[in-house]
Amino acid sequence: MNYKLLHIFRNTPFGRETLLQSLYFCKTINAYPVVYIPKSDKFLLYFSNDAVQVDLDHSYLNAPETAKVHAEQLFEDMGIKPMFYEPKNYTASTLPDISTNFDYLCCPRSVSDLSSKIGLGHIGPKVRRIIKHATFPVLITSPVFKPWTSISVFFGGSENAMNALTLGLKLAMSSGLPLNIYTLTEKKGEEYYRELIRKNDLESLMDQYTVQWHFYGDKKFDTMLYEVPHNSLIVLGAYGHGIIKEILLGSKMEHIQSTVTNNLLITGPHCTISLQ
Amino acid sequence: MQTIKNTYKAIYYRLFQLDDRLLLIVAGSIAGICSGLAAVALRLSLESVTELLHPLRHYWWAFVLPAAGALLSSLYLEKISREGAGHGIPEVIYAVSRYGGLLRLRSSYSRLIASFLTISSGGSAGPEAPVVMSGSAIGSNIAKALGLNDRQRITLVGCGTAGAISAIFNAPIAGLVFTIEVLLGEWKFVNIIPIAIAAVAGAQVSQAIIPEQVLFNHQPFNMMVVDILPSLGLATLAALISVLFTKSLRKIGRIAKKSSLPLWGRVIVGGCAVGVIGGFMPLVLGEGYHFIQSMISGSFSMGLFMTFVAIFAKIFATGMTLGWGGSGGIFAPCLVIGSLTGVVFHKALSFLLPSIDIASEGAYALLGMTGLISGVMQAPLTGIFLIVEITGGYETILPLILVSSLSCTMSHYIEPASYYLKDLIERGQFMRPGTDARILSDLRLNELVEIDYIKVSENMVFRDFIEIIKSSKQNFFPVVEDETDIYKGVIQLSTIRRYALEPGMYDMVFLNQVMDEDVITASLEDDLQDVLDSMDLNNMDTIPVVENDRFIGMIAKTRVLDLYRRELIMQTNIQ
Repeated sequence: MNYKLLHIFRNTPFGRETLLQSLYFCKTINAYPVVYIPKSDKFLLYFSNDAVQVDLDHSYLNAPETAKVHAEQLFEDMGIKPMFYEPKNYTASTLPDISTNFDYLCCPRSVSDLSSKIGLGHIGPKVRRIIKHATFPVLITSPVFKPWTSISVFFGGSENAMNALTLGLKLAMSSGLPLNIYTLTEKKGEEYYRELIRKNDLESLMDQYTVQWHFYGDKKFDTMLYEVPHNSLIVLGAYGHGIIKEILLGSKMEHIQSTVTNNLLITGPHCTISLQ
Repeated sequence: MQTIKNTYKAIYYRLFQLDDRLLLIVAGSIAGICSGLAAVALRLSLESVTELLHPLRHYWWAFVLPAAGALLSSLYLEKISREGAGHGIPEVIYAVSRYGGLLRLRSSYSRLIASFLTISSGGSAGPEAPVVMSGSAIGSNIAKALGLNDRQRITLVGCGTAGAISAIFNAPIAGLVFTIEVLLGEWKFVNIIPIAIAAVAGAQVSQAIIPEQVLFNHQPFNMMVVDILPSLGLATLAALISVLFTKSLRKIGRIAKKSSLPLWGRVIVGGCAVGVIGGFMPLVLGEGYHFIQSMISGSFSMGLFMTFVAIFAKIFATGMTLGWGGSGGIFAPCLVIGSLTGVVFHKALSFLLPSIDIASEGAYALLGMTGLISGVMQAPLTGIFLIVEITGGYETILPLILVSSLSCTMSHYIEPASYYLKDLIERGQFMRPGTDARILSDLRLNELVEIDYIKVSENMVFRDFIEIIKSSKQNFFPVVEDETDIYKGVIQLSTIRRYALEPGMYDMVFLNQVMDEDVITASLEDDLQDVLDSMDLNNMDTIPVVENDRFIGMIAKTRVLDLYRRELIMQTNIQ
């Protein structure tokens, strides 16, 4: 298939690491990276029910004369044909509309992190809004290039988690990498989760591609996080609920993001994953 | 808990989902009230700060005030709210025509604050366009919160706009007409009722908070048949001034963009220029409603020459304010320039024909305002209803209609696009629902591609290919490289007839010898319009779609027509 990932390029050493992550991701799953080199420090993503303005910091406009060459070099090193995205529409002269007609988006790091933190940092409302409305999974990379050699899916049984599991299977099929599933059973037994898989006709694929399904009964969530290999791509579903629920209930996604150093691939509630 | 939830769902479904008119009326009223409040807040803030700054205008350094205000405004927009300058109406039209009226929440307040800073300090701009932006964004975000679809969202954007315009001018009909004529561009029953109710709600809010609000006091105008002929002359002059105003604003803006000054430098230059002009001619400062009132009431004291100069001074000051980084709209400047045009025309006519018995200067100021609004916005009905409502000059309705329609027609003849639409049309982004451009832009290539095509290898011998043809209905066969699956070309059955009729060649010919390598291809990223143009140019009805050297599928004109019809029905089949 002809899957495409949109990457917003930052012409800095930090940005190079993020592009390497995207290139590695695409190479591993046989997708095509498309790079957008911003010419202004903001852009708009129009989803079906929201317009999200992404405000970049000025480092994204750094040395524009060398940005394309630097990006092309990285493409060349990875053996991938360079592809660049040019916005066609503008809401205002300094506010381009970036197409949401992609299969994956690599989240620009300055929207998702506080660079002072060593780990992945704070996701923030902007990324949550993107995830909430996006019809594609969002890749949130670790700050430094880190090749991953397995796929780990956090499966809690919800509809979004099922989406994430389907995505994990899809990635395992296209990359040939081992798939591990992590489930915190809480009060439900293992059989409940296996039944869910059967209902969704994923049993045979699970048998074929899953290396191990880890169940955690009375253990804490952080224990489970520690047991995920550091060089594994974590795939998880996010509800993308509002700020009030966020404050009252806290956010699992935020917790994972600020605890682990893995690359994360997040599917939102509007994301539809097909195994076709 | 579940029972309450189910009851709520049932009530919601019965009230709103079966027929969304009630939902739109309720939500539209809320949008109208909220945008009315925003408009009134801006009006009151502008009045109080303008009054506060008035004593400072007598100092020699007062010329820096517009620069200071515009600087704060641009810094606020650039650094805090991170939006571009400008008045915002093209943005709303763009959002309506392209993205189902999706607007950012920040737009509901950012332009209000920015235009408040610009206008209160003396910048030559009006508060109407910012309140339109704000009202539209309020409507859009209410629709978003309620999870409404594109059509319903556009209606609520219209409700917000109508509420804002009717609140700021205390003119509900003008609010309704402006929304339909300028913003939505379509008179549909499903839109008109909620928008009318929102307009009334906005006006009521305005009257409730500022009960004594009358923008311009009513004067007796006494227009007669003899005024018809001069009205034609005034319409011509208004059309010319409208075109001059539109072109000057764009030209001054372009000069600013070309200058090497940083944003703050541009804003200071623009603001100081306005301040200096304002030192000699105070009517260029701010919204200028006070001067309009004096023109309408006939107490405007400037002579013919100075009034004539004032037209150009106001045009230049507005260009320097908006083009060089300030924030605000052109509604109020249009009214000022229009009334000046009317006064100049009246004075000139009285000078040339002293014995002529025509209506008062104020009546011609009214006609000038209508002419300018209609000419610049190319919205004749808005021009008529706005002036009638804000001045109460119903007795002038006939000349108003005449001037408005003539000015609009003439300015349209010279400059086919209105000021609001010019940029959008130039960028190819003006797409009203149901138009060819809109339908083609809404159809995505990946929806149109037919993927069920049998690919054949470039090294396949012709005999094997004949077997494939026998069992297939395809007329086109994409040819690919064996191992890499890279697209090499296409075989059209019409072009291989001579090989097919000679069985002796079946084992001698390979497909890479007969395939057509020069057939034009499309990519999934291409615009459908470009693809169709390219098909027409090459006289082809079906072309392959190739992405990253891989064959994806074929696009056929018949399939485009099918989906085009479906989309057209969807966009136009709404009451």
